[in-house]
Amino acid sequence: MTKKILIIDDDKIFSKILRDGLVAGGNGKYEVFSAFDGEEGLQVAERERPDLIMLDMMMPKVTGIDFLKKFRKEEWGKETPVIVETQLSDMEKMSEGIELGVRGYIIKSDYSLDTILRQVEDILK
Amino acid sequence: MVPRELFPAIAVLTVLYLVVVAFSYWGVRRTKRKIYEKDAEVKRRLYELAILKEISDRTGYSLNIQKILDVIVGSLNQFLEYSAVSYMLLEPSKIVFKADLERSVSTHFIKEIRTRMLGSLTALLGRDLADMEVEETITGAIMIDIIEEPVQSYFNIPLVIGGELVGVLTVSHTKAGLYKESEMEILYKIVNQASQAVTKLEEVVKTEQGKIAAMLESMLEGVVMTDREYHILAANPAAKFVIGYKGEGTPTIFDFIDAFKDLLDIRSKLEEAIKLDKIITVKEVFFSNKYYQIVVSPVKSNVGFTKGEILGGVIIFHDVTHEKEAEKMRNDFTSMMVHELRSPLGNIKKIGEMMRSSKVLEDKQASSEYVSMLYESSSSMLDLVNDLLDVAKLEAGKFAVEKNQENLKEILAERVKFFDTTARDVGVTFKLLMESAVPDSVAIDSKRITQVMNNLFSNAFNYTPKGGMVTALCFMHKKGASLDIEARTMLAPWITDNMSADTALIPDSVVVAVTDTGEGILTENIERLFNKFIQFSSSARDSEHKGTGLGLVIVKGIVEAHGGVIGVGSKRGTGSTFYFTLPL
Repeated sequence: MTKKILIIDDDKIFSKILRDGLVAGGNGKYEVFSAFDGEEGLQVAERERPDLIMLDMMMPKVTGIDFLKKFRKEEWGKETPVIVETQLSDMEKMSEGIELGVRGYIIKSDYSLDTILRQVEDILK
Repeated sequence: MVPRELFPAIAVLTVLYLVVVAFSYWGVRRTKRKIYEKDAEVKRRLYELAILKEISDRTGYSLNIQKILDVIVGSLNQFLEYSAVSYMLLEPSKIVFKADLERSVSTHFIKEIRTRMLGSLTALLGRDLADMEVEETITGAIMIDIIEEPVQSYFNIPLVIGGELVGVLTVSHTKAGLYKESEMEILYKIVNQASQAVTKLEEVVKTEQGKIAAMLESMLEGVVMTDREYHILAANPAAKFVIGYKGEGTPTIFDFIDAFKDLLDIRSKLEEAIKLDKIITVKEVFFSNKYYQIVVSPVKSNVGFTKGEILGGVIIFHDVTHEKEAEKMRNDFTSMMVHELRSPLGNIKKIGEMMRSSKVLEDKQASSEYVSMLYESSSSMLDLVNDLLDVAKLEAGKFAVEKNQENLKEILAERVKFFDTTARDVGVTFKLLMESAVPDSVAIDSKRITQVMNNLFSNAFNYTPKGGMVTALCFMHKKGASLDIEARTMLAPWITDNMSADTALIPDSVVVAVTDTGEGILTENIERLFNKFIQFSSSARDSEHKGTGLGLVIVKGIVEAHGGVIGVGSKRGTGSTFYFTLPL
């Protein structure tokens, strides 16, 4: 059965690479959706009910944390696992994310698609 | 034998001889006496100088008249003959009476000079001193009561400091008719000079104290000074402001201890500073919405015998809120910049990885997509790096423009043509209004001015919603006329709201302006537009309007390097006008 993954990131290039990587690496196991800001992310999440969310913490308008707070309030968003994309310099803000049930993180400037794939697979098992 | 007739002649000669001898003897004696007198005069002079030097050497910058008097009293015997030299000094609660005996006298003698001196003081001051306690010190020779010689010679020298009588100095002797006017005069001179020195020193100290007090009053730092028992001696207005003290007079140390009770134990810091002779700096205390750096330091005496002794403590409250804010801004800027540089770089790396490992290359469409992504990522990085370099040059004052005579009208028209495509894409009307009076040739750096136009135009299109309008405008400005009136004569839109400068003061120039019908800029954000640190903050950007955020900072630099000015007018809900001038 295919699993739904939602990528919420304002960096369209990163989002595309991640999407392509997940699709190719998952060999058809994953169906990937993209949203480019928090607001859109909430809409897509409500519609698609993803099994996993990959969330950029540094976004204009609705930031990653703001998205998480709203998302966790929704009935359909309480249990969904979330992996956050962040920068090394923002690691201090992670504690807040952990309280909001973040399951893992990707350092944006230094990620490896293999690691991400493994992480995703682990969570979705 | 001598003939008798010569006797008268001999007698005359003898008399003459005697007269000559007598005269010369008298002359020599006179000269001798003169020499002796001169000698005495020189001696007195020397003494005078010696004692003045001794006074200054021994007492240094002492303000203590008593110490100075002790020096005079102790060395007066080199110059004067006396039985006793004594002084009487008026102090707030008592009278100090000190006598130095050169030879033994009776107690009665002492009593007599004491009475006489008190009498002189009373007379000079014109007030009764009978109630005052007299502290008596007798030094030198012993008193023997069998000598009953009374005071026969006596003179007083009043001691005046700062125009006020503080005491008398008295020289007395059991022999009569001893003191000559000249001797009194010299002693008077010495005492007078010493008094004047003290007076001057007192004035200096008072002025200095006044200066220090004034400085303390006007200091931005809060300063509190305490004694060794932590009683506050002085607290300046800034210090009172720190704790919000509104009462009259000086607050107590408890006012400060209570104010900072949970944040900093002021009492123990003071104790540490005073007891361990140590300067304590507390880097950051957040107190009533402000950041303070607090320095607690011992205060040491640096003059006189007490030099080096700890007199108390001082607490300095240094408001570092501004520095903290600036630091936060710099940190935000750095982390944003790092983010902006890292993201495209990380993407470029990943694109490379994808193209190498996956089947992307086999898929024509996918590979062309990836190539354009590569291009986009590297371009945005390059733009940012270029912008950062420009800003660095601006800040280092090394930003230079290369001015040549260029056709500004043509350059502008070319830019307008370039942005026409953008205008059509975003569904915005784009107009150019050019005044014919604008000369064909203007001294500019065409590359840099093109950069300015690009920046202003792309901003205008970024912030103008579909169906809106962007108007580019170019006209001549005459000093004394305001830009909005000049623009309106061309029937061009112009937004003056929130425009900070008086445009009528701008010298004769060519003006280029862009007016949009966007949402306008919040008043509080207008002055932030040209601040590099704030531009980068995420609230100022959103995904639709991405840029390095340094654009306007650089634009301002370019315009100013041309000798022109840049300005903004903006009204929420109506739009914004950005203009820049190029002086002729």
